[in-house]
Amino acid sequence: MPDTFGAFRPATLRFALPCELSQVRQAAKTAHDFLIEQGCNDDILTACDLALVEACNNAIKYAPDNARQHPVGVEITCHDGQLELRVADHTRGFDWPERVELPPPESESGRGLFLIQSLMDSAHYLRGNGENILIMRKARPSAAAHAKPVAGARMENDRLITGLLDELSSSYESLAAIFRHSATQNKAADLIKFARGVLGDLAGLVGADWFVFRTAQNQSRLDVLAASESALDMGSIIFRGENGDAAFLEAEAAVSRQAIWFDENRVLSGADPLRQKPRSRGLVYPVFVEENFVGTLVLGKNVKRGVSSPAGERAFTSSQTNIIATFAQFLALQIVNARLQEEHVAHRIIARELEIAGSIQRSLMLKELPQLPGFEIAALCRSAHQVGGDFYDVLKLTDDTALLVIADVMGKGVLAAMFAAILRAVLRATPELNGEPAALLARVNQILFDELSGVDMFITAQLAFVDVKARRLVVGSAGHCPLLVADGSTVKSLSPEGMPLGILPDAVFVSETVDLPTNCRVLLYTDGLTEAMDGAGERFGQERLTDWFNKGGHQARPARELQEDLANQLAQFEVKTGLNDDQTFLIMTG
Amino acid sequence: MDMDMKFQNDGETLRVSAVPELSAANANSFRDETRHAFGGDQRNIEIDLSETAAVDSCGLGALVALHKTTSGRGGVLRLLNPTPSVQQILELTRMHRIFEVVRQ
Repeated sequence: MPDTFGAFRPATLRFALPCELSQVRQAAKTAHDFLIEQGCNDDILTACDLALVEACNNAIKYAPDNARQHPVGVEITCHDGQLELRVADHTRGFDWPERVELPPPESESGRGLFLIQSLMDSAHYLRGNGENILIMRKARPSAAAHAKPVAGARMENDRLITGLLDELSSSYESLAAIFRHSATQNKAADLIKFARGVLGDLAGLVGADWFVFRTAQNQSRLDVLAASESALDMGSIIFRGENGDAAFLEAEAAVSRQAIWFDENRVLSGADPLRQKPRSRGLVYPVFVEENFVGTLVLGKNVKRGVSSPAGERAFTSSQTNIIATFAQFLALQIVNARLQEEHVAHRIIARELEIAGSIQRSLMLKELPQLPGFEIAALCRSAHQVGGDFYDVLKLTDDTALLVIADVMGKGVLAAMFAAILRAVLRATPELNGEPAALLARVNQILFDELSGVDMFITAQLAFVDVKARRLVVGSAGHCPLLVADGSTVKSLSPEGMPLGILPDAVFVSETVDLPTNCRVLLYTDGLTEAMDGAGERFGQERLTDWFNKGGHQARPARELQEDLANQLAQFEVKTGLNDDQTFLIMTG
Repeated sequence: MDMDMKFQNDGETLRVSAVPELSAANANSFRDETRHAFGGDQRNIEIDLSETAAVDSCGLGALVALHKTTSGRGGVLRLLNPTPSVQQILELTRMHRIFEVVRQ
């Protein structure tokens, strides 16, 4: 801006105030002494003292715990006709009300902003990313104003208008650029190309010569998304963990969650990629979306040889920094959106997988069970989840014989459904052993062992060969819960020895044979029945199941009625908890 | 913040003096210590502000709190001899109408 105030040189005091209320008094005194040096009168001193104290109190009181290590930035500039006080805080920020009203007299708080508004000519609160700035201005009598009061006032107005126009035009440019990119983003699938475009525009807006944007991967690694030159990409930067490159500037910004300014005098550690740009000044800016770290943006300006800028002077002005923050925020949102979209696709794939598994499982369940003369068979399979690992099957072997199958594949999803289908196929493909459950289980275990143990899965199964003419049942079990046989007065529980399928390659199975008296009932089930839980945390249990099965009234009831009755019993028991595990059972009466 | 405030009992009134400042740093402890010193049979609080160099909005909050304490007992909060800058803040926030401000 042209110097409209002739020979007057503005004086500036800048200091960092530790984030502690007890330090505010000393800070106010430092500011007070500076303002006295600058020839401020008592009225201005009193007003500035209190406004600064109120601003600092707020900056400290509302700083979140994780920002307390960062000092509050205080900057006071005395122009000829005006004082400007800037307080930079690390709070979450707030919306400065258009007009601050005095709170009711009985209120014990809420007078701070009112005091600032009353004591200062103007107060503006600019919210940034991680840092907000309160800018307070107050006019003071100036030598020029005394000599030419009208011209002085006009110049002051001109200066304010020019400043406002500057701010407006810079926001206009950044907004226009963002809108332009938003329009293309919908079409552009390539996030990298998009990022390069946005960052190129940003560099142009703030006068940066180079840039590099790295995105966080796995919460510990930064990888280049876009850089103005390939030399800046020197592989991943690890910012967490034992092998972290904590000494790298970008890693430091990622861990501290704070922006870092650097200049050509800053000594960078060994392999820091920013060493590629030794004579530069700039900013490393960590980018967040809703508290989640997204990446780091570095923007740099080349420093010409022989030209020395004042030590400590930052590469970008505060309004340029605001523009950088806006762009970085925008780009980060686009990155997060792109990731969410990818996840959405992944979710759809999983949903499709479950759909397939579900249809495999449904195809396993027989629509109509084969029946045996003089006997009735009924079965039910209820899945707690979209896809379960339970299944039952009835293989009719001859007119008078059949193999009853019940199994529980340990695991869920497509793999469990696949193994259920494979088991069913293998059983059907081994008709020569269908009459010998123990030998059949041993064979099935040999066939499936490699596949099952390879994915750490196993299957419990129970096979029952039934011969209605001989009224005989031969049972084999692979680690499955017992089979129950009731004859009206007693319940027999059969659990022949045998490991689940997929545990041991050469597992041995034994079979048990039981006679079927007239009016008998046979129950095959999975442990989802006995494990069912009521509202009080009590399990349905083996005893309750046996008692139900042994009820005298059940005698001569057809299998379908018993199946409905048991399903109702279970539903009533679980009325408060709902179905938690797959429940499958098969009942034969005759 | 170390404070060496003085408390004096004068019948129904508690007098507080030697308060160097009333700010965010000490407002809560000032309020609590004063309430602690306020006897069960007392009704009024007088705060000598002649040595108080600075008061901010948090300090005003503490005064409002003590004002409520005294009102609850049918008494008053009296501020003695505020410095011109403190008087200005009281007027700016209209608090001079709420508290009894006395010059002696």
